[in-house]
Amino acid sequence: MIRGIGILTVFLLAGKQPASPDVLKITIPEIVVVAGESSVIKMEVEIKKGYHIQANKVNDDLLIPTTLEIAKDEGITTGRQEFPPAKKFKLEGSDNLLDVYDGNFEIRIPFKTTKKISKGQHILDAKLHYQACDHRTCLFPKTIGFSITVKVA
Amino acid sequence: MKSIVKSLVLIAYLDLSLAAGAQQDQPMIGQMAPSFTLKAVDGKTYSSDQLRGKYVVIHFAATWCPFCNAEAPYLQELYKSYRDKGVEVFIVDVKEDKALVEKSFARFNFSFPVLLDEDGSISTKYAPEGVQPDLARHEVPLASNLIIDKEGKIRFYSLLNTISFDAKLTKLKEKLDSLLNSK
Repeated sequence: MIRGIGILTVFLLAGKQPASPDVLKITIPEIVVVAGESSVIKMEVEIKKGYHIQANKVNDDLLIPTTLEIAKDEGITTGRQEFPPAKKFKLEGSDNLLDVYDGNFEIRIPFKTTKKISKGQHILDAKLHYQACDHRTCLFPKTIGFSITVKVA
Repeated sequence: MKSIVKSLVLIAYLDLSLAAGAQQDQPMIGQMAPSFTLKAVDGKTYSSDQLRGKYVVIHFAATWCPFCNAEAPYLQELYKSYRDKGVEVFIVDVKEDKALVEKSFARFNFSFPVLLDEDGSISTKYAPEGVQPDLARHEVPLASNLIIDKEGKIRFYSLLNTISFDAKLTKLKEKLDSLLNSK
């Protein structure tokens, strides 16, 4: 049973790639859960106005889909990630339609804890892989690392 | 006081107009194209010095770049239409390895060379100064098209932040026709 969800916590985001504009911000509400119970991580993603990133499922296998990687934790098992439906984006000057995300969207990650998990904070290391474009320029693919904090009460 | 304010407004307006004008102009026109020697997916090495006396079309690409892939079939068509007129076409793939490029571009059946700028150094040389300063320099020319003339000078440069994307290469072909007809 979830005891409560704390104040929004911003985890940001040390990219090691060359200087590209920061087009993406991640916010994750702090989660408090009782040992042995399940919950959902709701990861809020904000894309800078004018930009989009490729969706989790792309309609062309040459494109780089947005994917999320979460490191394993002994007491926490994450389930199937739920990405939102993609929007269609028409490339200016061509007939191609891309599946993308823009604006604000949420990625949901269900998880369960073991009964033996220790109380206190558990930090899950995570990486988001994405490739961003605006209507005329594409940026190189990027991976950003961040942390997800799960408090076990 | 009013006249000072008017002057400042005028200066600001002129600055904005000039900036807007600069954005519309193609960069590096008339400059010598930066030299390159690059290996291609076909295993051969191509050098810009060997291309003197020919018109050369270069497209900077990456396999994941949606703009580049939208343009790819039209670039192949262009090559087929212009190769007998002494026009060479190259893709310069930026910062990807041969295996990936070879596999990914197989679908396009390019009959012109795809060059590998694996460290991005050539792409960096083609990044015009002051354009998109918030990008890594090797990122700037991505998805752009250039025409280099017989003397090695840049005659067309469709940098994406300055000119609308033109997958069908209409503007490039107009310029190429004009250059070929004026010789």
